[in-house]
Amino acid sequence: MRPVTKRTALAGGSLTAALVLSSCALGEPDGDGDAGTLSTYQCEPQYLTPGNSAEVCGAGVLETLFTGLTEIDYETNEAIPAVAESWESEDNVTWTFELGEDWTFHNGEELTSQHFVDTFNWTVDPDNAQNNAEYYEFFLGYDEVADEEAEELEGVRALDDHTLEIELAEPFGQLPNMLSLVGFSPLPEAAFEDMEAFEQAPIGNGRYQMDGEWVHDQEILTERYEDYPGDNPGEAERIEHMIYNDVATAYQEVQAGNLDLLYNAPPENISMLEDDFGDRQESFETGTLTFLGIPTYQEEFEDPQIRQALSMAVDREEIIDGLFEGTLTPAGSFLPPVLPEGREDACEFCEYDPDAAAELYEQAGGPDELTVYFNSGAGHDEWVEAVTNQWDQNLGIEEVNFESMEFAQYLDLLDEEDIEGPYRLGWTLSYPSAQESLEPMYSSTASRNNTGWSSEEFDELIAQANAADAEDSEEAYQEAEEVLLEELPVIPLWFESQNVVWSENIDGVEITPRGLPQLERIEVLD
Amino acid sequence: MTRYIIRRLLQFIPVVFISTLIVYALVFAIPGDPIRALAGDRAMSEAVQESLREQYNLNDPFIVQYAKYMWGVFTALDFGTTFQGRPVLDIITQRLPVTLQLAGVTFVVQAIIGVIAGALAAINRDRFLDRLVQVSTVVVVAMPVLVIAFLLQLTFGLNLGWFPISGTGQGLRSFILPAIALGAVSMAMIARLLRSELLDALQSDYVRTATAKGLTRSRVIGRHGMRNSMIPVVTFMGADLATMMSGTILVETIFNLPGLGEQVFSSIQAQEGTVVVGIVTLFVLFFVVINLIVDIIYGLLDPRIRYE
Repeated sequence: MRPVTKRTALAGGSLTAALVLSSCALGEPDGDGDAGTLSTYQCEPQYLTPGNSAEVCGAGVLETLFTGLTEIDYETNEAIPAVAESWESEDNVTWTFELGEDWTFHNGEELTSQHFVDTFNWTVDPDNAQNNAEYYEFFLGYDEVADEEAEELEGVRALDDHTLEIELAEPFGQLPNMLSLVGFSPLPEAAFEDMEAFEQAPIGNGRYQMDGEWVHDQEILTERYEDYPGDNPGEAERIEHMIYNDVATAYQEVQAGNLDLLYNAPPENISMLEDDFGDRQESFETGTLTFLGIPTYQEEFEDPQIRQALSMAVDREEIIDGLFEGTLTPAGSFLPPVLPEGREDACEFCEYDPDAAAELYEQAGGPDELTVYFNSGAGHDEWVEAVTNQWDQNLGIEEVNFESMEFAQYLDLLDEEDIEGPYRLGWTLSYPSAQESLEPMYSSTASRNNTGWSSEEFDELIAQANAADAEDSEEAYQEAEEVLLEELPVIPLWFESQNVVWSENIDGVEITPRGLPQLERIEVLD
Repeated sequence: MTRYIIRRLLQFIPVVFISTLIVYALVFAIPGDPIRALAGDRAMSEAVQESLREQYNLNDPFIVQYAKYMWGVFTALDFGTTFQGRPVLDIITQRLPVTLQLAGVTFVVQAIIGVIAGALAAINRDRFLDRLVQVSTVVVVAMPVLVIAFLLQLTFGLNLGWFPISGTGQGLRSFILPAIALGAVSMAMIARLLRSELLDALQSDYVRTATAKGLTRSRVIGRHGMRNSMIPVVTFMGADLATMMSGTILVETIFNLPGLGEQVFSSIQAQEGTVVVGIVTLFVLFFVVINLIVDIIYGLLDPRIRYE
């Protein structure tokens, strides 16, 4: 009989819990009690240690908890002062940052330049296996630390409590921009004592501080840090990150007014956005490029003319209108138009021209059989098929095989250079810089260059652009882009958009080129 | 009886061993490198990947990985961690109550609605109520759980606002819609099963005798008819409670309930062998324990069944 009593006990237990909870709910009508609170959709972060968090779920939370040396002004996509009040460099190699004096961590600890030194050294230490370590590769002494030949970065020095010097291995004018990345945020003393405990309730120096611990898969609650010394503190009194496994569920919660913001409405809802939300929805263009990479290490794709023909034979507009309700931006460049360097129609071979494409393809002797690769279960099936249909129609590529597989397996295949035809991939900008959109993908030494394409000219132009001051680098990066536009190691298709929906409680939603909402700027109405 | 129970309990040991081995092997067999996929399109640096592979024994051959895992379990009660370093035991203790609540509410909801519908249908044989139960149960059985879940969410959560759309914020009320979605098919099965059993019983000799003795109709049905018809229903409900665990994977994900099912789903995607093994083994244990309990209750309901 015991199990039966157990079961009754269980049901009884949840019943009392329900009574208690519903009586709480009675005292607090929806909405009004929440003035000043912004609740936002969140996906479960992988990590909440700044040095380790390399994906958007973690960044969404950490960007409110931490403030780095610099921040980005998203109107111009330029670095602006944050913890560092000013910075200067003669040669783009040695940089001096003057830190503000009123900065404190949420536990009251005063923030000094030594914190940055300690944090940077800890992050690059291979024993700590931090994901963001690789962004430090510009720093002098990075290789020695990575190879465990040195304990500390030679290029990072605290000149005094509020002066930090960073020396790089080669000139890099984009450094202030890159330093806005959450992986360069300072950690307090407490973090180094017990990093695991720290991760459950990070103590930062940002606009918002933790209210309680990270409740895995449920919520991360934060409140405004009232001693924030920066010029523009957070708007909302509280930000509650509500974690959902399924965006479709979060979508309904915003519709019902229980959740204020969802920054990535599911693609299948695109056609309903206006009916469901009226003017409380918008499609924001991001810097994420979706492309079909070409394995140039395969003989039949060596000739750039073949890649040009493949690109010209794709009617991007038609696919975007037919499958994405027109919400994406057809790619006419490699540099995203959301960046100042991005030009909308720089790419001659991205314009749809079936006749020229057919002629070129014929002339260059392109293959009449293709295998196309994409990762399964991520909504790529339809558009990949649409592209191949256009190739069939315009270039006469009749026989197309599709290889779709789980993401992990897919990436293995890319790394092993075992790909025999065009493959789908995307590239998101971690920080809004032309360098970030070109160098890590196409330079010949980049680990993410899966195409096998390499060009000394391109590498050289990138090095020149990196060496230039940020203000003068625009044309230099565009020059490097020209090489890609001619050679097309990948076929740029479109820049992704993020469909954002929000409740009646909030106003002022903006999305960064990385695709994250600027939570600190959102106003809560009452 | 005691000897029977001990023998059954001893059988648990090989069951647990074999099931962990199979589950571990299946996760191992998923192609691709889980560490490589952790960071999405933007891969982690080689050094970080390598140190994670080392940390999670992913460089070892399958049998060594499995042995290391089992060794940890038996010597240190260490059930491993996720790739983010969270102990599996923490995850289970945090999530088990949610899944148990969901299972409990589902069990109660499906028992109450199923039994009432089945009994009403049998009593009102061939009349409107009976037809209604028959047609509606066929519809429910034919509909995928996914569709039922979204319909419930849309109708009672979003449009009518009677129940929360997702989450566990409102205690028992949050579990009602997920429970209906999870138990819908079984509910219909229970109703149909009880209806046919009860119809049989009502035509049997002992019921006719009871009626002839002048007992009231409610007493005849309640004491004599129902009691016998419930045996197969109880068996079904027990077995169903055990298999319910696999249904939680879908339902918990849709309703954003932080239970074990949702975790299994995301861990399979991430190829986190230790997490999947930990939770699935728990499901297996759950299954065998419930089966044992059902068998014991069987004996209590029907004195003719005896165990040696």
